Amino acid sequence: MKKNYLAGELLYHSLKKPLLIMRIAIILLLVGFQQTRANDAYSQKTKLSVSFSNTELAKVLDKIENQSEFYFLYNEKLIDATRKVSIEAKDQQIEEVLKDLFSGTNVEYSILDRKIILAPAIISQTQQSVKKVNGKVTDQTGASLPGVSVVVKGTTTGIITDANGNYSLSGIPANATLQFSFVGMKMQEFAVEGKTTINVKLEDETVGIDEVVAIGYGTLKKKDLTGSVSSVKSELIENEKPQNVQDILRGTIAGLEVGFANSAKGGGDLEIRGVNSLKTSSYPLIVLDGVIYPGAMEDINPNDIEKIDVLKDASSSAVFGARASNGVILITTKKGKAGKAVINFTSSIGMATMAKVAEVYGPDEFIKWRSDVMKANFMYNPSLKTKLYTFDDPNNLPDGVTKDMWLNGKTGDETQIWLSRLAMNPAEIENYKNRKYTDWGDLVFQNGLRQDHNLSLSGKKDDVTYYWSLGYNNNNGIVVGDQFKSIRSRINLDGKITDWLNVGFNSQFANRDESSIPATWQAIETNDPWKTNLNPDGSLFIGDDLPVGVRNPLYDKSFTTRRKIYNTFINNLYANVKLPLGITYQLTYAPRFEWYNYMNHQSALNEEWAKFGGQANRQQSSVYSWQVDNLIKWNKTINEIHQFDVTLLANAEKYQSWDNSMSAQGFSPTDALGFHNMSAGKSSSYRLSSDDNYSTGDALMARLFYSFRERYMATLSIRRDGYSAFGMGNPRGIFPSAAFGWVFTNEEIMKNNILTYGKLRLSWGENGNREVGRYAALSDMGTGKYPYQTLGGTAYEINKLYVNHMANYNLKWERTRSVNIGLDFGIKNNALSGSIEVYQMSTLDLLIDRALPNVIGFASVTSNLGEVQNSGLELTLNARIINKENFKWRSTLNFSLNRNKIKHLYGDMVDVLDASNNVIGQREGDDITNKWFIGHAIDQIWEPRILGVWQLGQEAEAAKYGNFPGDFRIKDVNNDGKINIDDNEFQGYRQPRFRWNIRQDFNIYKNFDFSFTMYSYWGNYDMFNQAANSRINGIGTYPDRNNSYKYPYWTPENPLNDYARNFSGGGGALYNVWREKSFIRLDNLTFTYTLPGKLLGKAKISNLKIITTVRNVGFWAPKWVFWDPEYSGPNPRYFTFGINLTI
Amino acid sequence: MKAKIIKTLYRILLLIPVVIGASSCSNEWLVPQPLSIFTPENAFVDSRGMYASLTACESIIRDEWFTTGNRTPINTECVFSEVSVDGSTDQTYSPFNMNLVVTPSGAQQMLYINLYWENAYKAVKYANLVITRIDEAKFKDEAERNAVLGSAYFHRAYQYYRLTHQFGDVPFIGKEISGPKLDFYSTKREVILRKLKKDMEFAAKWCSDNVDRGRVSKGACAHLLTKINLALGEFDDAIASASSVIDGGVYSLMKNSFGTAPAELGGYLRSKGIVRNDVISTLHWAPNKALAANKEVLFMVLSREDLIDSRLNITSMYRTMPFWSCGNQNMIYTPDGFGPGTYDKDKQEIDLLETFGRGMAMIRSTSYHTKMIWDDPNDLRHKKGNWINMEDLVYNHPYTKKSAYYGKPLQLRDANGKLLTSDTIRNWFGWPHYKMYVPDPRAVQPRGGAGDWYVFRLAETYLLRAEAYWWKGDNANAMADVNAVRTRAKCAPYTDAANCNIGTILDERARELFWEEMRKTELTRISYIFAQTGKPSYTGKTYSVANFGTSNFFIDRINEKNDFYNKGVVAVNGLEYKMSAYHVLWPIAQISINANSKGVINQNFGYDGYGNNIPPLTAIPPEEDN
Repeated sequence: MKKNYLAGELLYHSLKKPLLIMRIAIILLLVGFQQTRANDAYSQKTKLSVSFSNTELAKVLDKIENQSEFYFLYNEKLIDATRKVSIEAKDQQIEEVLKDLFSGTNVEYSILDRKIILAPAIISQTQQSVKKVNGKVTDQTGASLPGVSVVVKGTTTGIITDANGNYSLSGIPANATLQFSFVGMKMQEFAVEGKTTINVKLEDETVGIDEVVAIGYGTLKKKDLTGSVSSVKSELIENEKPQNVQDILRGTIAGLEVGFANSAKGGGDLEIRGVNSLKTSSYPLIVLDGVIYPGAMEDINPNDIEKIDVLKDASSSAVFGARASNGVILITTKKGKAGKAVINFTSSIGMATMAKVAEVYGPDEFIKWRSDVMKANFMYNPSLKTKLYTFDDPNNLPDGVTKDMWLNGKTGDETQIWLSRLAMNPAEIENYKNRKYTDWGDLVFQNGLRQDHNLSLSGKKDDVTYYWSLGYNNNNGIVVGDQFKSIRSRINLDGKITDWLNVGFNSQFANRDESSIPATWQAIETNDPWKTNLNPDGSLFIGDDLPVGVRNPLYDKSFTTRRKIYNTFINNLYANVKLPLGITYQLTYAPRFEWYNYMNHQSALNEEWAKFGGQANRQQSSVYSWQVDNLIKWNKTINEIHQFDVTLLANAEKYQSWDNSMSAQGFSPTDALGFHNMSAGKSSSYRLSSDDNYSTGDALMARLFYSFRERYMATLSIRRDGYSAFGMGNPRGIFPSAAFGWVFTNEEIMKNNILTYGKLRLSWGENGNREVGRYAALSDMGTGKYPYQTLGGTAYEINKLYVNHMANYNLKWERTRSVNIGLDFGIKNNALSGSIEVYQMSTLDLLIDRALPNVIGFASVTSNLGEVQNSGLELTLNARIINKENFKWRSTLNFSLNRNKIKHLYGDMVDVLDASNNVIGQREGDDITNKWFIGHAIDQIWEPRILGVWQLGQEAEAAKYGNFPGDFRIKDVNNDGKINIDDNEFQGYRQPRFRWNIRQDFNIYKNFDFSFTMYSYWGNYDMFNQAANSRINGIGTYPDRNNSYKYPYWTPENPLNDYARNFSGGGGALYNVWREKSFIRLDNLTFTYTLPGKLLGKAKISNLKIITTVRNVGFWAPKWVFWDPEYSGPNPRYFTFGINLTI
Repeated sequence: MKAKIIKTLYRILLLIPVVIGASSCSNEWLVPQPLSIFTPENAFVDSRGMYASLTACESIIRDEWFTTGNRTPINTECVFSEVSVDGSTDQTYSPFNMNLVVTPSGAQQMLYINLYWENAYKAVKYANLVITRIDEAKFKDEAERNAVLGSAYFHRAYQYYRLTHQFGDVPFIGKEISGPKLDFYSTKREVILRKLKKDMEFAAKWCSDNVDRGRVSKGACAHLLTKINLALGEFDDAIASASSVIDGGVYSLMKNSFGTAPAELGGYLRSKGIVRNDVISTLHWAPNKALAANKEVLFMVLSREDLIDSRLNITSMYRTMPFWSCGNQNMIYTPDGFGPGTYDKDKQEIDLLETFGRGMAMIRSTSYHTKMIWDDPNDLRHKKGNWINMEDLVYNHPYTKKSAYYGKPLQLRDANGKLLTSDTIRNWFGWPHYKMYVPDPRAVQPRGGAGDWYVFRLAETYLLRAEAYWWKGDNANAMADVNAVRTRAKCAPYTDAANCNIGTILDERARELFWEEMRKTELTRISYIFAQTGKPSYTGKTYSVANFGTSNFFIDRINEKNDFYNKGVVAVNGLEYKMSAYHVLWPIAQISINANSKGVINQNFGYDGYGNNIPPLTAIPPEEDN
């Protein structure tokens, strides 16, 4: 009985406290050479001297371990190691010492040679304990759970479940409460209340407050957080087969916006809590495995990701100081787990298909449209407007128009005459007569095959934890020729060298092939259906109106050879040392290498490129950057009341890059060798360039976390950053933060059964932004060549030098100061949990390209001026709606809104005038040049307002503005008969006013999983100048020479008010057409089938899942008619089928 | 022992952060190192660095013709004059109705008014950098220093001469500005011109004529000084400065052909037996312009096919020739109904494209330029082959092989007088092929490749001196100078001095200097002189400074000679050509005025914001007088 029990505990122990065992083993090694090899009677021979008063038991045991070869095995949950003891022993045997230590407790000890096992006495000595309870512990799926700790609450009495998950406890008080706990699962309590059998089902700790969250240079339990941090675990969405990091983040975190990319490569921009900078990027800082990651997102294999934490408020991101004002995304990759080696293989095959097509006119629709275009073009020409019927189909003439009138003096083939009038060229007319048309969409769009295969090997053996993965990704896009390939590998290795030293590294290698040349899909609009695609000999026809973009979409592509490869090698090498007094020191060296290789050959076989004998380019660049982090940490809990966690950082970094490129033209004898023989080019065509960059930075940081009775907690941090871009005047900036949390449900009076967890958080902090450009403070002199000729007749080139950029040696850090108030709550044991965050962020000393009067010769200078404020609200809700064995339904909702406002700009005061031009005060001036206004959002539209379309009968009024019926009618705010800057009005916003996303997960009959996600952006406007049916502001095509997307257009017969006529004009006004882009997208549907364990067990497979997922299922955008509201252009829908196999 | 080892290890590990901490605490670590860029401190050490900055000024001057895109600034100068209008009839945003389009904040997307302003002030900045730092560099001697300084003065004066005649009163900046400044004020035009005159007298004294082509010569300085003297109404000084160039012995008008004979890449003209080898065609053949043998060039800009780092295409054909190859609804039909009759693909049997290039009529010459001014049948500048009329082209579209007219000359009308193209504005006008054709060997559809271009040429110096004589009332000498230019082009000399007037000179300028001269700048200068002097124009009308914006020679001349503006001419797109008197000065962009939040840059009469003006500065403060 006792032996079984010990075996059980040992098993548990080895799972729970592997570190301790290793530490002991290493100590044994170290002390071994000092002492003679001990014999069996070691315990009797060895004499110990110890002296402690009122000291933690654990310390005493430690001391004994240090003094001798003894080592202790015990379960911290069962043995109170924090108990204070006093002992005075001199040259005593271990037996006696133990007797002293444990007399009067229920701890039993057994000495097995050097091994001493401490365990609670199972059979209680107290007479009033009468009950015996047994039962079985299972997980959510009903599988038995061995090794679960079952403890009588408030005592150290307990036991561990056996291999079948069974336990049995006897002699416990009738009113006792049992606590069931297991790593990674939620602890549960049950009152015995006279029961003799208590079966327990433990649930995974997925959204719980005991979750460990990365906070930068360390981790914290979620319940201890004081800042605003959101997390997403990759296992939650691994079934959705994310292709990149962005796919994991899209629609999972309130306040994080993930952009959309339609290419085979995928990806998208990231933005946390709105735009808070005017000049610099709003891209958040990425931290990979604790080290700032400056590389490309696509080099991180999403399959390697364990979890992602997003630091949203200034206090949590303040530890990254000057880099953190856009928020921080912390990515943690997978590590090996204890137990046997695990091989995981995931494989998916998918298809990218066109989700939303903006249609162009088909062959016959085109003719009708073109005839309307021609009429529109001549509609207001005094001499031509009476003969618009000449553009009508001769076989379908309007009433009152005779053939003779239509012919208008022409003779010959009517079709020929008609189509010539429609500006179709002879080849097109020929095609029309032969009904030979081309669907350009068919030529440029395709269904793209996608595949993604990943293999990983991980585990933990003795002192070594390892994880190795290899992934291959080959995606074809929906545009012909668009392809992305990558090979990514990662090794995470950690070895424990001694009990005080472990070393390891995380290395990531990626090879990215972006050589593909997508077809110019825009040809669907520029090339009308009657344009010729192929020459008579079957070769590609280049196109017959090149200047307006009528070009064969595959022509240039077919004469181009490209190699564009990125290789990146990113490493963290670290050593972690345990120092005395509970201090640890970690040194991390993170070198990053990047090699970029671009070669491009434009063949002389191309009709145009033949003119210069083909062209070849080669570009090579490499990046070497490193960071060194020195981290000192101290973690201490005193009397289970005061918890301290101190982190100190010293960091240095350096970035260097070298880039060189060359090009040549005019290859002789031919350019058959492409870019492989540059010297075959004409020497006078050689071009060389180089661009090298250098920057340095450093940082010091200190953070203190303190928690009192897990009820009140505070985090204080301060960071000083240095960066060479500001090195001329203000190299360093200091960024402080403070945050407080109050778990009010831990207060006795607040305890209740409904709101089982509640925490209020308040934080304040400052971050910086340094992404201004490495040399922004300097006045750089641009160069470029310029030719001269001597009077002797020799032409030559010299460099011109001109000042590109106004120097500002006083340039300094942009700082964002933010206040965040958060409420975390859990209702009914987290059946419903979530958080509400309210924040206000002020960005000060904005890095801004301040508009200058251009008479200075600079349009702007980079300066620190002004203030932008972002405030917002975020709501996250997680609910376990149904939690039955055979049906589970979990739901997540995120909602966020952000409001942006410019508070200050340059501080230049201007007079405020009343109606009669008297000065009645002063206010800060706006920056009209950049359309930045005090009190308004950066993204607010300030432009002339379109009221509608001028209609027939309004000719005279329209003419005042140089307009005709069919043109957009623009509001003349001041009624001065002119549309100019005085008529600009504030209109909608370019950024969504609200965003939300929901996620629903269902588990049916244990083995079937189904989930879907939806998200929405609401209330944003975007340009839709196509509604003008004209080339306004350079947008659009030439309607008389191109095809068009199908938009409505105004005609006298169809007098619309929201679309202008073809060839509409603006008079003298500059305007854009804005349309609302709100949408709701059903982003993802995923079905997963997990094969039952019974089947797999025989094949020694621990897990096998079959997955079907659809991404970008569809959207609803009530007011947007063009392409996808998130991305103007072809956008893919992905169907993926995959398996996930673990051995 | 064990404890000792551990202790030692601890010590070593503890040292690491200390070492790194120490190095990261020094500011030296954070000094920026610009590896691949020059800064003023390391560049302006000798005359080479100084000249490199002036090269940037020369590059900006070149951009007037060589700006990439559909249009180029010089086109904008042309459409504010008698010689051209905008020709882009296929768009509804084209600058036809200047009353609508030319506003401080309006849709001038096809005009380069704002670019002129921006580029001018950039060049002023580059020149001021040299002027301010002139004594920081080491020079061989005083002469070298003063030649550098003189060249810098030239560039500043060149730009201010343009600015004061494009925009009138503008802010004058006389030194390097090294920090943000937001309090600029406009300076009176005459005050700026007075300053320029002083600078250019210095430059004309110190600059040399023995400079590489593309650099500022003494002749160029005197030429610019002549324009400034004219603008100031100091006609004797203008005559003197012009004469110093004309009679200086260095420069002379080219009277005979020289260099290589022009040869198009296409053989169409040669197939017609046309060989161009006269003085005019060789003078304007790009490879000849920079030759030492060319005694006529004072100042020029260069661009060469084989100097690829500095190579820019001039795109001269594309921008100024008719859209003769039009394939859209405005196409040119054969009289027997085949259309399009012309074809702009390369390698056609009749290689019109390689011979003339592809025109897009971004500007369209007026009949003033194509017909009215040509008063002598022997004029080489209008000789067949040098000047091309539409009728010199033939139907070449392979499609028209079915027509009886394939290979026959183009016709505007058929036998019944019916127009054969619906857009004569864009598709039908003649052009000076001898000047606009620049070989474009790299393009499938040639538009005008890399070739040198004249900025100041002695022919203009003659015409400037002619003006000075005429303003003084010395018509005989004025006529003599006009005749010097005319007779070189094989015209008969004018003989009736009484009839020689400013119109005579402007006509000769249009014949000789199309797309070379800054036509609008010069018209405005002349308009100013009329207003300043009160001298009656050839119509007998007099002008005054007081109502310059409402009544000036500029608009009267355009109304008289330009057959588009204010004549009710409506293009196919329904837009009407209109221009007003106040366009004699262009608007200053609203963004330039707005960004100057602590000062006042005056707006010109006729434009929004004019009411906010304050009196311009009437003196240049000593600190700006460099």
